[in-house]
Amino acid sequence: MASVAAIVAGTLVLGACGSPSEGSGSPSQSSSQSAAASGPVTIKYLHRLPDGEGMTKVADIVKKWNSEHPDIKVETTKFPGEAKELMPKLEADVKAGTAPCLVQAGYAEVPDMYVKGLVEDVTGEAEKYKDHFSGAYGQMSVGGKVVGLPQDTGPLVYVYNETEFKKLGIEVPKTSDELLAAAKKAAAKGKYILGFEPDETQSMLSAQSAAAGAVWYSAEGDKWKVDANGDKTKVVADFWQQALDDKSALTDPRWSDAYTKDLVSGKLIGNIAAAWETGFVLDPLDKTPYAGQWRVAQLPSFGGSDLTGPDGGSGVAVVKGCKYAAQAMQFNDWFNTQVKDLASQGLVPAAKSQVTTPEKMKKQFGGQDVMAELAKANEKLAPEFGYIPGFAVVGSKMGEKAADAAAGKAKVADIFQTAQDTSVKALKDAGLPVNE
Amino acid sequence: MASRKARHEALTGWLFALPFTVVFIIVFVAPIIESVRAAFHKQVAEGGGLFGGGRMVEKFVGLQNFQEVCTNPAFWHGIGRVMLFGVFQIPIMILAALFLALVIDSYLVRHPGFWRLSYFLPYAIPGLVAAIMWTYLYLPEISPFAGHLSFSLLSSHVILGSMANMTTWTFTGYNMLIFLAALQAVPSELYEAARIDGASGWQIMTKIKIPMVRGAALLAVLLSIIGTVQLFNEPTVLATVATWMPRDYTPMMMAYNTMNGNISPSGAGPASAVSIMMALVAGVLAMIYALVQRKAD
Repeated sequence: MASVAAIVAGTLVLGACGSPSEGSGSPSQSSSQSAAASGPVTIKYLHRLPDGEGMTKVADIVKKWNSEHPDIKVETTKFPGEAKELMPKLEADVKAGTAPCLVQAGYAEVPDMYVKGLVEDVTGEAEKYKDHFSGAYGQMSVGGKVVGLPQDTGPLVYVYNETEFKKLGIEVPKTSDELLAAAKKAAAKGKYILGFEPDETQSMLSAQSAAAGAVWYSAEGDKWKVDANGDKTKVVADFWQQALDDKSALTDPRWSDAYTKDLVSGKLIGNIAAAWETGFVLDPLDKTPYAGQWRVAQLPSFGGSDLTGPDGGSGVAVVKGCKYAAQAMQFNDWFNTQVKDLASQGLVPAAKSQVTTPEKMKKQFGGQDVMAELAKANEKLAPEFGYIPGFAVVGSKMGEKAADAAAGKAKVADIFQTAQDTSVKALKDAGLPVNE
Repeated sequence: MASRKARHEALTGWLFALPFTVVFIIVFVAPIIESVRAAFHKQVAEGGGLFGGGRMVEKFVGLQNFQEVCTNPAFWHGIGRVMLFGVFQIPIMILAALFLALVIDSYLVRHPGFWRLSYFLPYAIPGLVAAIMWTYLYLPEISPFAGHLSFSLLSSHVILGSMANMTTWTFTGYNMLIFLAALQAVPSELYEAARIDGASGWQIMTKIKIPMVRGAALLAVLLSIIGTVQLFNEPTVLATVATWMPRDYTPMMMAYNTMNGNISPSGAGPASAVSIMMALVAGVLAMIYALVQRKAD
């Protein structure tokens, strides 16, 4: 076992992040000042795109920019860790003054980053590029202040194996009731068209609630109003409770080998997925008999609502202390409108532009114009669903309860009660006003 | 003249100690001081409104962070878990290590160097890599054996045992080396004298060798207690497949996730308070153990 040194080393890591000087030499500059910088400037950009096999690598996209813009040199790094580990790193870097100028930020993280003072208000700069982007533009703003530009969106869709569905005599479900009935029918034959994914609870269930028309977080006066277990959310809770009770949904975590095994063995033949999953969800099926049989459809309607919800999606934010915010935003706009390259990374670009379905995707989805279907979903994204600072805390607790629900030790409704209670606590702990 | 030489020697001594001292202060002392300072502060949003003023202000909160840790049942559950873990894992591991050390030291085995290295090898594998390897062995879908068991190795009642197995596998060889070093420090005259007096191999082992490694055992158990309180790698890696596991399953996980913003209240202040409380608990446990040990002597 590690010695005493390790306990202190642990403390060290934790302690080192709490730099003492909060307001020391305020490094932030307004964008108008920074625009005046003369000579070539260097912008550092920290991304966490997959950069996988067959994709146009971020470094190669940036190379194009650099050759065309000798005055604004962009250096890009891939963050190797988990998304949630990026925040503490960024916090420490901002305090130390060594943060990059641009950083990838999940839409659900943006409010948290703003409250922590990690991002720059670039509303003025962003206005110039507003027209290039879809409704996701609003996701990069907090309380009316824009902190960056959107990159991709993640509307929920339904993916399914067309051939297997035909074999079972199942139609593609249009409503959650149809989905339940079909799932039951499939499960009776040992096939599953639904997955309850405990590790994706936060994104999945919040997005499904949004699809049902719920708005978890809103302002009431100058206080937060939390409504994570209201009537519209209850539609989602009831749906999953039935699916779990009927044993018509698989309960393997999304990012587990068990899930992949279910997929490859043909046990899982349909599921609710985020749009970005279409970029790689079928990779394990290449060279199996199931290759080319899957299709993308719209998310079945929950409780009669014609919406879909946001599961993930992210933008590129300007980090507090960036000296060349104007130049950074110029690159930000250019990069996020390289739709073809971004699509090759499996993203559904947030830029307003016709995106052609990449060849790889076409092959995996039997020639379907997947991007057109995703664009349709994009237009149905619930417009009012937003997040609170500290949403990560809410997700952790929801995930625990979801695992209990999957094991039959809790009800699905408990997950949303947990979301409600944890949200209120997280806001209070952060010193933000909340209406109970 | 003599004093000049002494002074020169003293200076040389300090010069030799300097690099260590500097690094020690930077990576050891300073973080502790900073952590203690942070534990009395908290980052809060200021400026009103739904999102505060767009920056966090560090506020002195006195003992509030500590109070929150101490009154948080999750923290004490975590401590309880690691203590339960330690109560059965440490004796098994220490006895196994002692047994292996005695066997290697007994001249019964050929190529003791080979066995010593083999037993020690698991410790040489980075903790995370080992944890990931065991995760695969525990996953029923992938494991060569877990799928045939009637229970899941990742369920809430079994997982402490699964973790104990990982830890034992990793650290038995390490503790064996501590025992082996102690055994080899025993002067061989003692054995000779015992043999002349007619002692058997068994008697030499039980009457001489084992009592002679008491000190080493004390050290090994102490390190194990401290290590147990810090249990982190194993549960963190297993949590990726055992999704029911709370983010504060062990105190070290709680500190880490508090820092990362996955547990509220989050941030450096509350996280430091958790770490300091952990250090205190580990210290108290170690002290109790040392006192009991001394009394038993």
